[in-house]
Order: sequence, then C-alpha cells, then structure tokens
Amino acid sequence: MWSNLQRWWGVILILVAVSATVWLGATQQLVLYIHPRYVVFTVVMAALALVMGVLSLAIRPANTEEAVAPRGWSRVVGGVALLLSGAVALSLVLVPPTTLSSATASQRDIVGSTVGSDSQNADEVENADDELIASFTVVDWSSLLRQTSDPSFYSNKTADVVGFITASEDDPANIFYLSRFTVTCCAVDAQPTGLAVYAPDWANDFEVDAWLEITGSFEVNPSSRSDLPLVLVPETMTVVERPSEPYLY
Amino acid sequence: MTTTLPASVDDHDHQHDHRPRRSRNRLLWLAIGTIGVGAIFALRAFTGELGAVGVPGLTADLLTLATSVIIESLPFVVLGVLLSIVVQAWIPEDLLMRYLPKTPVLRRAAISLFGIALPVCECGNVPLARGLILKGFSVPESMTFLLAAPIINPITIVTTHQAFGFEDGILVGRILGGLAIANIVGWLFSLHPQPNAMLTGRFAQQCAVGSHGPRQSRTEKSLDIFMRESSVLMPAVFIGSLIAGAIQVAVPRDVLVTLGSNPLWSILAMMLLAFVISVCSSVDAFFILPFASTFMPGSIVTFLVFGPIIDIKMLAIMRTTFTAKVLLQLSLVVALMSAFIGLVINYVV
Repeated sequence: MWSNLQRWWGVILILVAVSATVWLGATQQLVLYIHPRYVVFTVVMAALALVMGVLSLAIRPANTEEAVAPRGWSRVVGGVALLLSGAVALSLVLVPPTTLSSATASQRDIVGSTVGSDSQNADEVENADDELIASFTVVDWSSLLRQTSDPSFYSNKTADVVGFITASEDDPANIFYLSRFTVTCCAVDAQPTGLAVYAPDWANDFEVDAWLEITGSFEVNPSSRSDLPLVLVPETMTVVERPSEPYLY
Repeated sequence: MTTTLPASVDDHDHQHDHRPRRSRNRLLWLAIGTIGVGAIFALRAFTGELGAVGVPGLTADLLTLATSVIIESLPFVVLGVLLSIVVQAWIPEDLLMRYLPKTPVLRRAAISLFGIALPVCECGNVPLARGLILKGFSVPESMTFLLAAPIINPITIVTTHQAFGFEDGILVGRILGGLAIANIVGWLFSLHPQPNAMLTGRFAQQCAVGSHGPRQSRTEKSLDIFMRESSVLMPAVFIGSLIAGAIQVAVPRDVLVTLGSNPLWSILAMMLLAFVISVCSSVDAFFILPFASTFMPGSIVTFLVFGPIIDIKMLAIMRTTFTAKVLLQLSLVVALMSAFIGLVINYVV
C-alpha cells in the first residue's frame, strides 16, 4: 500500500496540478498567476501532461524497483512530504483563485516603487487630450507624480482610475492608497503601485482590499500627518467588481 | 480481486487468458483515470464559484504565491520530463556518447554547451540530467550539464535579451559566467574519488538496475519514465513552492531592496532574493527587470547566474538525486563564484 502510494503519488499530484491549470486556462483566470505571454505554452504543456498521466495510469508499467520499506526517520520525512504536498494539492483544487491582496502590497514598498517609471512622460502629457488622460492607469499617474508635483500641471486633468484599497500608514483615517500590482513574469514578482487618495473616514464606507473606481483630480495634500505633496481628491467613488485582468503589465 | 479458479486452471488456458485480461485491466484503469480527472475538474469548477472563503490576507497570499510558482514552473517540468523520455527511450543508445571528445575537460566543455539546443529551465533539467546519468554519463558530467543548460538554453537567452538587450554586459556576463561555473564545478566534483557516492540511495539503486528491467515496449517505457519522474519531482516542486511562498510573505521585500545600491551588499541581497523567489531561469530576466534601476548591473548578473542553479525549489528538486552534503558544497561553490563574477562586473563596468 505504502510503496504503491509512493509510486503513484507524483502522477496524482501532477494530474491535480495540470487539471487545476487547464481549468484556470478555460475560465481565463491563469492571468491571476502568470503573465499572459506564457498562457498558451502553459496550457499546451498541461494538456500533454494530462494525457500522459491518464495513459500511465492505464498502462501501469511493471514495478522495476525493488520495494524498500522505509524505516525510522526516512519514513517520517516521507510521511511529512506526503502530507505537505497533499495539502498544497488540495489547496489547488479547493481554494478559489484570487489575486494578491493589500497585505502583500503594503509589504512591498508601495510608495517608493519605481515600476513603470517611464510609462508616461510629463512633457508629452502636458497638453494631452482628455481621451488619452481618461485612459491613464494608477501606474501612469504615479509615474507622472514622480516626475512633477507642480499642482498647476494637474489642474485641468481629471483622473479616472480603478484599483484596490491598501491602508496608509501615515494617516490611516484620511488617506488610503488606490493600488494595482504590475506583473512582468508571474504573481511572484508583482510590484504594487499606489495613488494616495484623500477621503476622510473612508473606512466607514469601504473595506481594505475592496475594488473602487475613482474619478477626481490631484490637489495639494490637506493632511498634516502625511508628507506626500499631492493627493487624489475624489469626486466619485464607486465599488466595482475585480477586473478580469487585475494585474497591469 | 481475481475471479479465475486458482488450482484447476492449467498452464495452457492461463497463457490464453493473459492478454485479454491485461487489456481489460488497462481499460478499467483508463476509465478510473478519466473519471478521476473528471472529478477533479467538477470539484474545481464547484469550489471556484464559491467566492472568497474567509482565508486571511497573508495566508491567501501565501497560497497565491505558491500556486504562482507551481503554475509557472509546471510547463517546464513537463517539458523536461518529456525530453528525458526522448533521451532515455527514443534516441539510439550511443548517439550522445559517440561524438563527444574523450579528454574529460573538453568533454565537459562540450556537455556544458548541450543546453543551447534544449529549451528547458532548471527544474526541467533535473529529470534530463538524471536521464543522462542513466544513459552512462558520469555524475560530474551530468552536473556540468545541469548547471550550464538552464543559463544557456535558447529561451533564457532570448528572454534575457528582451529584458536587458546588450546593456551593461548583463547578457554576456550571464552566459559566460554560467558556462565558467558549470565547467569549474564539474571539474571540482570530478576529483571526487567515488562519484556514485554523491547520489541518493534511491537513485543510485535505480542506476544500478539500469536498463536491465523487464522487456517493455517504447510506449510502456516512456509512460514508466513519466510515472517515475513525476513521483520524484512533483512532491519536491509542491513543497519547494510552499516554502518559497511562505518566506516571501514573511520577509518584507523592501528589506532586500534597500540594500541595492551598495556594490557588496547588493550582491548578497540579490543572491538571497534569487534563493527565495525560486522562479525558472527562462522567465527570471523579466522578474528582475523592475529592480534594474535599483540594483547595480553586476548584482543583476549574480542574480541571473545564481538563481538558475541554487534556490529553494531547486534544492528540493536536486535533493531527489544528490546527497545533502553534495548540495551544500555545490551551493557554497556556486555562491562564491557568482558573487565573484558580480563583484568584477560591479567594479569594472
């Protein structure tokens, strides 16, 4: 029993992992974990492994190794490995797919992040038309904010951005960060970027991690406890569904 | 459970019964496998619709990160197993050996260049390296292959070039550095008096049995290799990803990034980062791209040379083949050499 389980455990694990992958691909949720450029390759290899795994179960190759009954510590280590990998396999099937949360965002330097630092150039945006400005994301705006904090630059520009709430440490009652993760390879390298939003007592209406669409403009920071020069002062704040592609690339 | 009458059946009948029963058995297990996979899909589709299940933020992020490492490395693991199957079951016995130089140093140099033709990253290389040992390569030779291939594989070169171009000697430093480390480590381990003592008991036993097992068709042999390689690799991939996810949640990323601008500290920080995040070499250039402005070029080369060889997930996978002592020596040598390469680039460029 033990040696049979050990022989087939890997096939069971790989079948679970590739089934989960194929399902994520079919429901278009693979982008929660990897950059879109790897999606096709990942699904193709997963499908191959799925076929090989089921076939190897069917053929059930003869056992060429002499079964060595594990003893003592190696049995304990083997048991722990079995349990841990089994737990991960269960989580792959049972836990609903989700994005990284604000807990990771605040742990990865949301303000100092230089992601997409060149995504927009202040000189070119100076006289941009409304349509272009309406398309700006959290990352575009924070790249502009890093280049200039001159209030007049932002006076005639209305931001319309989507992101999730990460709490601010300096002035948690009045300011939160509207944040997005940027992914270059997979969720492992996700870098958070956040716009400071000035909304007194925001916690009464919204929860951390909630997705919001905010329209508003950048103004001089009224908060005395935060040293950011400019903040986004909202005109409207609407709770929205998490976008189907929650990460920016 | 068998339903045949044990004693009363003579040999003759038994011979005739054998084949159909075997293929009936196969159909049965094919059905079991298909239904099992169907059940996994049904369960996944059901739980996927449940919405958040009240897992607290950091635990959820730990699982998301672990899942991300698994999904990112899985296709490369599968590709590696498939190539290992090709090497072991489908190409002629002596094809690889015939054209290799006889002098050990040149031989290892040739082997370190194998990777140019093989688009596998490090986790896929372990099954391939195991296949090469079973094919008759010596342990140091296959180690040379194992270290060089993930760095000079075509996908890695293309993605590194996409990410950095030829700027700051990062691409060139990575390729030359990787080849140098692979050859020097191969040479160091070739000094070992008993190369087979570097292998784990289970794998050494498998090497001793070699290809003298029962006669199998090529298809059977291929599926046999698939089954054996997944049973060795998958628990390691799963556990390695879990640990990598846990450490990332526990260690704040800014701690590493603040070390970035010092020529020495940034190298150590980069090695630590590479060790922890455990992404495959084919994609790690994109991983490190956002840090390019923070860290010095030599430190990035250190990340790109050290990461493909030593990281949490990779140690878990390599432990299936090599003893703990060998892995410790390997980690130490590779860490020193990649730090040296990074320092040279930091101070010279």
